Amino acid sequence: MGKIYEYNVLRVDLTNEEIKREKIAGEKVKKFLGGRGLGSKILYDEIDPTIDALSPENKLIYATGLLTGTAASTGGRYMVITKGPLTGTIASSNSGGFFGAELRFSGNDIIIFEGKAEKPVYLSLKGDKAELKDASHLWGKGVYETTDTLIEEFGDEKARVSCIGPAGENLVKFASIMNEKDRAAGRTGVGAVMGSKNLKAVVVKAEEKQVEYFKDEMMEVVRKQTKTLKEDGVTGEGLPALGTKVLDNIVNSHGAYPRNNFQYATFDKVDEVSGEALVEKGYLQGNKGCYGCPIRCGRDTKLPNGQQGEGPEYETGWAFGAQCGVSDLNAIVQANFLCNDLGMDTISAGVTIGCAMELYEKGYVDKEEFENGPELAFGSSESITYYTRQMALREGFGDQMAEGSYRLAEAKGNAELSMSVKKQELPAYDPRGLQGHGLNYVTSNRGGCHVRGYMVSPEVLGVPEKLDPQELKGKPEWVIIFQDLTAVIDSIGMCLFTSFALGLEDYTEIANAGTEFEFTPEEMLENGERIYNLERQFNLEAGITPAEDRLPDRFDDPLPDGTFRGVNTKYREILPEYYELRGWQEDGYISDEKLGEMGLK
Amino acid sequence: MSVKVKFYSLFKINLKSSGKEYQIDGEITVTDLISMLDDDYDGYFSHKLLDAGEIAPGSIILINGENVIHIDGLDSKIKDGDTITLFPPSAGG
Repeated sequence: MGKIYEYNVLRVDLTNEEIKREKIAGEKVKKFLGGRGLGSKILYDEIDPTIDALSPENKLIYATGLLTGTAASTGGRYMVITKGPLTGTIASSNSGGFFGAELRFSGNDIIIFEGKAEKPVYLSLKGDKAELKDASHLWGKGVYETTDTLIEEFGDEKARVSCIGPAGENLVKFASIMNEKDRAAGRTGVGAVMGSKNLKAVVVKAEEKQVEYFKDEMMEVVRKQTKTLKEDGVTGEGLPALGTKVLDNIVNSHGAYPRNNFQYATFDKVDEVSGEALVEKGYLQGNKGCYGCPIRCGRDTKLPNGQQGEGPEYETGWAFGAQCGVSDLNAIVQANFLCNDLGMDTISAGVTIGCAMELYEKGYVDKEEFENGPELAFGSSESITYYTRQMALREGFGDQMAEGSYRLAEAKGNAELSMSVKKQELPAYDPRGLQGHGLNYVTSNRGGCHVRGYMVSPEVLGVPEKLDPQELKGKPEWVIIFQDLTAVIDSIGMCLFTSFALGLEDYTEIANAGTEFEFTPEEMLENGERIYNLERQFNLEAGITPAEDRLPDRFDDPLPDGTFRGVNTKYREILPEYYELRGWQEDGYISDEKLGEMGLK
Repeated sequence: MSVKVKFYSLFKINLKSSGKEYQIDGEITVTDLISMLDDDYDGYFSHKLLDAGEIAPGSIILINGENVIHIDGLDSKIKDGDTITLFPPSAGG
């Protein structure tokens, strides 16, 4: 096998237990790249966007990126694309670890799961062989046990497992898909779609590596980019040492660190739960990397009780910490491990708990609803672990929380207390403190999300340059470039963190070196724009109207504390310009002309 | 008259200190403060925060939570009661 030109597709009909092989080659790959882009194109072409996300009509697509499994630095990522049950939008979740690269080595670049299995099954990919196997004995089991059992049954300790836990089986709206136990395709509820199909896991072990990917001029580019990543202050020093949790103090100092369900933007106990605290308390054992990664930002953490695993990331630590008013790092790490084992998105889980705490605080929830459980009060470390388990198992009050914060708050009579966009919970940055990031939240194609256009980078971190977080001028252009470039990075299968040190030219150069294609940087960014438009069009056809490009009412109120006290969100002032620069209609819909120009109609 | 300087991230870990308080007379600039820190920490802060006399890309210097880049850069004024927060280049997500 030479350089990458075509995609090998494995189509798995779960209803009829039939497996077919197909190929995608040429222009379609060049224009949609792979991973998030190509997976979204397949989903858009093959399903009706109005279907119920948890019905057999939905499809679940595992897609490796264009350069996944090659020598590209951090080139180990895979994405899961489907219609999401939490938002009703297109869902696309991205995970690292080693599973994605192994899938590529095995010659299964994309897997399309269709229909619904009659009983629990898993897909076994051994060398050239692909078969569905009974997973009845694994149903109900956690991610850790499932992974260990499947590796043992497979008979090769180097096999890689991607699976769901009880949360996915129980159709928790924000269930994740986990690989190597602790790596997550976390957001948008992809795990619930997998559960709805009675699909427990995918296990893969290739016969041999496709070594041609590692030859010739590609290695020159890889060496250059690896050197850049290792010498950069962020990717070479900050991320390896403190991981993403370096952000707790930074974002808190900036006055954009949400506390008590975004009622405040600073946390006076941040020193108890920060990345620095993880080191100082002796929990951090070391750092870990994914396939081909010179950054190694993963946290290897051990608690005093001996529990060991990966995490917490910044978002997780915040979601179970400040968002819930909790300053007990031990309990936060335990909630993180629970989410990994139960297969649940940590951001949505923590933010939903924080939402429930505010609903209780404001009298929308009666104490009786907690049955024998702890009171959902801000600051209760006991409740973050208790209700994490209850949500995953859909027990007691957890059953209502498993629907996510929006449906919970709506059912209790005040949907505006859900800190979400398009029903997906917001991550750890108050949009009043970062106006460009607020615009990104409302225009993200998968709802409340920071990794579709990470404006925190210029607005707080000063990468690639420092922008005033309160300035509105120029922000729509920045958001668009970040969103389009991110779509490129996700689709070629590299880690988004490389973008702290690499730019569009670098991604173009490595894609040209590793594939049969010749991209210009302009074409590459246009691919990102095409993917972004495709996702938006899917959502519009699914009935998610531009009226949902909005933040909860809370953000129209001024911040009560921190650097930006008295400031409210101003995204409405720049949303029309964003639509215009995107070439969309004034009403936020995409004209046929624009779709034609993008090659989407 | 005093100002509080807070160290975070690798500054805090490497120096094993969460910060320092300085007595000042009237107003000083960020440049003045970095010189004071350099005297106490053997030139560490100008090495880490500055690049050719400018704020190094990604380094963060906050006065009461506001990045000095959006005030007057290294000439930004620091006065009694201010809190200055320092971070080396950092990112996450």
